[in-house]
Amino acid sequence: MRLPAIAATLALLATSAPAETFRWAGTTDPQTMDPHAVNTAAVLGFLNNVYEGLLRLDKDLNAEGALATSWEPLGTDGWRFHLREGVTFHDGAAFTAEDVLFSYERASSETADTASWFAPVSEVRVVDEYTIDFMMRAPNPLFPVSIANFMILDKDWAEQNNAARPAKDAENFATLNVNGTGAFRLEERQPGLKTVLVPFEGWWDEAMHNITRAEFTPIQNPATAVAALLSGEVDMINPVPIQDAARVNERDGVQVIDGVESRVIMLGFPHQAETLKYGGDAGEPNPFRDARVRAAVAHAINVEAITTTLFRGAAKPVSQLVTPAMRGYSETHAERPAFDPEAAKALLAEAGYPNGFSFGLKCPNDRYINDAAVCQAITGMLAQVGIDAQLDAMPVANYWPELRADNFDMFLLGWSPGGAFDAEHPVRFLASTPNEEKRLGSWNFGDYSNARVDELLPLIQSEIDEDARQAMLDEVAGILQDEHAYVPLYVQPLVWGARDNIELTQRPDNFFILRWVTVN
Amino acid sequence: MLAYIIQRVVQSVVVLLLVGLVAFSMFRFVGDPIDNMLGQERTGADIERLRGQLGLDQPFPVQYYKFLEGAVQGNFGVSYRQGRPVSEIIAERAPATLELAAVSGVLAIAFGIALGVFTAIRRNGIASHVIMATSLIGVSLPTFLIGILLIYLFAVELGWLPSFGRGEVVDLGWWTTGFLTASGLKALILPAITLGLYQMTLIMRLVRSEMLEVLRQDYIRFARARGLRDRSVYFRHALKNTMVPVITVVGLQLGAIIAFAIITETVFQWPGVGLLFINAIQFVDIPVMAAYLMLISVMFVGINLIVDLLYYFIDPRLRVDRGAAAK
Repeated sequence: MRLPAIAATLALLATSAPAETFRWAGTTDPQTMDPHAVNTAAVLGFLNNVYEGLLRLDKDLNAEGALATSWEPLGTDGWRFHLREGVTFHDGAAFTAEDVLFSYERASSETADTASWFAPVSEVRVVDEYTIDFMMRAPNPLFPVSIANFMILDKDWAEQNNAARPAKDAENFATLNVNGTGAFRLEERQPGLKTVLVPFEGWWDEAMHNITRAEFTPIQNPATAVAALLSGEVDMINPVPIQDAARVNERDGVQVIDGVESRVIMLGFPHQAETLKYGGDAGEPNPFRDARVRAAVAHAINVEAITTTLFRGAAKPVSQLVTPAMRGYSETHAERPAFDPEAAKALLAEAGYPNGFSFGLKCPNDRYINDAAVCQAITGMLAQVGIDAQLDAMPVANYWPELRADNFDMFLLGWSPGGAFDAEHPVRFLASTPNEEKRLGSWNFGDYSNARVDELLPLIQSEIDEDARQAMLDEVAGILQDEHAYVPLYVQPLVWGARDNIELTQRPDNFFILRWVTVN
Repeated sequence: MLAYIIQRVVQSVVVLLLVGLVAFSMFRFVGDPIDNMLGQERTGADIERLRGQLGLDQPFPVQYYKFLEGAVQGNFGVSYRQGRPVSEIIAERAPATLELAAVSGVLAIAFGIALGVFTAIRRNGIASHVIMATSLIGVSLPTFLIGILLIYLFAVELGWLPSFGRGEVVDLGWWTTGFLTASGLKALILPAITLGLYQMTLIMRLVRSEMLEVLRQDYIRFARARGLRDRSVYFRHALKNTMVPVITVVGLQLGAIIAFAIITETVFQWPGVGLLFINAIQFVDIPVMAAYLMLISVMFVGINLIVDLLYYFIDPRLRVDRGAAAK
């Protein structure tokens, strides 16, 4: 339709494809090329290859300079970024502070999905061509790293192409076209079919990869993706279905690469509901309001069994709402409640449910790896201690509306602390008393509420001293653990498959960074 | 004749409107698109704002009316997922589905009729028994399983054919075709077999039983008694009279081929409208789902209409009866 010349070019390329053409497949096509329109891992992960932020995250999620070479706090009022000089966009335009200001205005506009990143920002001032200040409403030590995915595009390019603002319900030039500063530029974009990237010769950094051309194809059906990898039609797939991983690994020429994601899978409870929604034998109050009952659930679930049988050991049990790789992880609360059905039964009896009760467990079946199977396993384990879960697993498109409508007695949730990969993130979204105005507790479906946690959160957010901050995070982790506000289960694994001649890096945020790929 | 056509067209429009109404009343059971459109950091206010912006807070008959209003002007709205006009997206994807459907349709009809006639004529031959037995596979195995088996055999183990996609396509400006490149043709083979196998066995079994029925009739005996050659008896007299019911079924099956391409397209990551529809369901992309369902029902209704009209030309008795009734 568009791009008539491309097919002919492709025919030529396919016959003389050099060894460094790298083809990869994933389940989801990035739905847009606009870096500010949609805030999802599929989009931001992909666009990290073509756009850049002021900072970028290295292989261990630590911040390093990208378009900014350095940054420093302006007392407690904000942050000053010193921009890299001599950087050009893919179309050759020079990168300056004006582009940062423009991108800030674009990314924080009403139609942008990234606006919440800039909630702490009161003002942005261009100091000179290569210096820009982000002023804060309150001290915010994590702000620079929290905007690592804030991508900068060229002001003139966006304005000339009528893409000055991202659009959700209309077509936009930036939906299909890219003009970033990243290591790769977009050569071809056919939504849902194929996206082709080629190295950007004018990139400011030294290229560590040896790719000359990279093709991404979305393949929804996991079995087809595995077949494409085994037959050598693609060089890498993400993910490999867990049940196929062992078989894939045994084949010559391909490898399975395991890692852990930054996503914690947990169980949540209704903390305020008077009665259970499903199952009538518990009466008032709703048993999950009693911390002993929640503790019984924690002791009843054999997480080791889940990780070894359902995840081949690739998932790791976890004790809190973030994984050990995250900033602010509480080492002092690294212990999980032991698997102990007898203790669980005793706790239930103590809470007044010696004969158990029945309730409804809500679960998605297409959101997390093996989610429905995990819920089935949990149902079985809870039955062992006498509480009878009626499992209702559903597609995620139906799942969130159900949770928002409070239609659950227990639910499964996965949480990855986007932005700064810090322990503060789940406290803000999952453990704060819901407050629409302050954008707090927006995923706290069970209305968990603890005055001390609410009091600590703003202090954590503005504390500059690392040790004092960690002490407060430890305290919150302790409260959540003692009250069993959630029952954290395991860290979701990353299971990727690649040809043997591919070297790559798995970052825990499940972003696939092309500039770390080597084709041997 | 004209009255008959008008009557059928009016019926068709009513059917289309009803299909649309049912579809729109079902969409809310598919789920809520809002969560897919907003990121992790959305608030309740963001959700309400977007819901209002998209008109999802209105009752479904209102949403349906708005869709119809746009649709009659050729405007199917903007995809929630891709943020691009639905008509553009469907126009991009349609060639892939239509080429796949055409190839599997031709395969199914050609092999179906040939094998059907063969097994009817040689109905006690060993070859016929083998064909009939293997055809059971085509009827009984689910499409996705056949697809996966073919992929593992021909793509993974033998490495002869690609496991997914359409290969290289040539862009003609208004149409992309895979017919003009070697890789495009190779990519067509497995999906076309997967999609056409069921239809082929169906046509074959239908032709066979119809043909056996016809061969028992008196006029065939008389034809033989007159000393006509076998070929003339089978193909001039018997086959022609076998075709009326076969055409009905083939016509309806052509619609089914396009509609059921969904499964084949998913298995082979074939970039057609079926795959688009599956994506749309997962994302609750209502504009795409609505446009696809309307297109498919337009197609089914249209094919039915054409098949009805074709009877007229193939079966002279219908014309005579109608003519007599009109007098």
